[in-house]
Amino acid sequence: MRIIETKNLVKVYTGSTVEVRAVDSVDLVIEQGEFTAIVGPSGSGKTTLLNMVGGLDQPTSGEIIVDNVDITQLNQKQLVDFRLKNIGFVFQSYNLIPVLTAAENVSFIMELQGRVKSEIDTRTKEILSDVGLGDRLTSRPFQLSGGQQQRVAVARAMASRPKFIIADEPTANLDSKTTEKLLDMMLELNEKENITFLFSTHDQRVVNKARRVIVLEDGRIVSDERK
Amino acid sequence: MLTKLAWKNIWRNRTRSGVVLGAVAIGLFAGTYLSAFMNGWMLGSVQADIDTNLSHIQISDTAFSANNDIGAYFLQTNVAEKLANTPSLKEISFRLILNGMLSSANNSVGMTANGVVPEDEQRVSTIWKMIPDSLGAFLPEDTRAAIVISEKTAEKLKVRLRSKIVFSFQTAAGEMQTMAFRVCGIFKTSNSAFDEGQAFVRYDDIFPLTALPENSAHKAYIRVADLETCEKITPELKTLFPDLSVQNWKELNPMFAMSLEYMDLYAMIIIGIFLFALAFGIINTMLMAILERTREIGMLAAIGMNRSRIFRMIMFETVFLTLLGSVAGIALAIAALIPSLHSGIDLTFMMSDSFEDYGFSSIVYPVISAEMFVEIVILVILTGILAAIYPARKALKLNPIEAIRS
Repeated sequence: MRIIETKNLVKVYTGSTVEVRAVDSVDLVIEQGEFTAIVGPSGSGKTTLLNMVGGLDQPTSGEIIVDNVDITQLNQKQLVDFRLKNIGFVFQSYNLIPVLTAAENVSFIMELQGRVKSEIDTRTKEILSDVGLGDRLTSRPFQLSGGQQQRVAVARAMASRPKFIIADEPTANLDSKTTEKLLDMMLELNEKENITFLFSTHDQRVVNKARRVIVLEDGRIVSDERK
Repeated sequence: MLTKLAWKNIWRNRTRSGVVLGAVAIGLFAGTYLSAFMNGWMLGSVQADIDTNLSHIQISDTAFSANNDIGAYFLQTNVAEKLANTPSLKEISFRLILNGMLSSANNSVGMTANGVVPEDEQRVSTIWKMIPDSLGAFLPEDTRAAIVISEKTAEKLKVRLRSKIVFSFQTAAGEMQTMAFRVCGIFKTSNSAFDEGQAFVRYDDIFPLTALPENSAHKAYIRVADLETCEKITPELKTLFPDLSVQNWKELNPMFAMSLEYMDLYAMIIIGIFLFALAFGIINTMLMAILERTREIGMLAAIGMNRSRIFRMIMFETVFLTLLGSVAGIALAIAALIPSLHSGIDLTFMMSDSFEDYGFSSIVYPVISAEMFVEIVILVILTGILAAIYPARKALKLNPIEAIRS
């Protein structure tokens, strides 16, 4: 089942003298449950592509179909609502809310979605246990290590069972051991909950774990390989 | 969730929030204290003027109210009969009002002698309470040809209790009359001008000399339950006595009435200045709070927190800050005011004579009104909300992608 499809996606940044095609005519199909890494050198357009697929940035031209909805046709308000209901985000620097506990950070999105409290509580405990932090529900971010914080961020992204998760360089701030652990955990959740992962990375260890690797260069897909 | 997050957010930077809370609390404390003080001062002075000088309502002949003409009298029975059917009136005292000269062996002063029935007068005015025990009493029954004068008059005439003084005035027939009185009481009010010009004698003592018809009076001093009743009953009395002059305390002392009305305005101006300064404090604080959280707000927008929720979160933070500060400020103000509610704040250490010259009491009993507190708190919160709009709009303009990268 197709979760994401881009058709002739283009993003052009216009400077005072030069025009940069950050994403150039990208046609891409992501199926449900795929664990896909987008790799490429700096400036190859990975983050721009992810931002557009995640509804955070508008393309210059082309279509982005998510679950049969062309999100390029949505206005800002509809996009915010779309992101809330359909997409989970994991950021490079975790971006947890420092004043909330791990459990509160995870339950926050579900509360924004208006889910009932009992469901929120059960799911929060379940997903934090799945990421190995069942005993750190009440810990605040500053009481957790970088790896633990990123695991909370993954739990937050997965808690509401989104259609897919976008992770922009999720392991960039982690050491190799923690990276390994986090990737194993993400793979486990990907298999257990059949949630689609789409992430950008420079990290070869991440590439090795990915089930599909898309290579971008100068905004174009130069290779797309399933393992 | 928004409220919970907003509440936690205000404690991120305790020093900064503490400074804003302190500023709100101190400003509100100063504003409410000053407002309670000024209200108390004004109301106290008005009440003192009503108690000693004006009473709530005065009725007189129209010509008398214009030029104090001794011949402009009315008959007590005519007025009393009509007033008997007005239940809201508490007490009435009829007075003869004679302008003349009060002389001792040493000096003479211009004086208004009020001819009163002591028992009636004591129910309308409180002059009798202004006579210290050591300085006599208010026209006691056993003294004939007694006069009550003020301490200031006694000083000017260089007389003491039981001294003999002479009052000269022109009768209704145009003849000069003199009558000797013995000082039976010396009073002192907080109104110097009143003290210098008023003396009290028995109606029955002075009346035979006035050449006025039996039962005449120049003024009826009326006391009602309170200022509100006074406002309500004045028009009724004006209709009841179309040929007489009916004036309430506001008409008799328009300066006080105006000051009382403007008191709220003065308080609002002071509070307005404070709120203006507060608004800038809040704008600064909230801007800093938002700048510090650029990335976090960008993340919230990215994961699906809509503009309305981000806006409300920032508004809640401001409301919590100002509400907390307001509660603290009011608590401080109440704590500071309570001890002086009964004992009053004594201003005699600073120019008590000057205050009294203008009829203002030198001891102030602050007046706390719940309505005033509620109004001020609402104004502070409104100011907070208005001041937070600019920072909140800044937050809404953040681009999630750029904010997360920042």
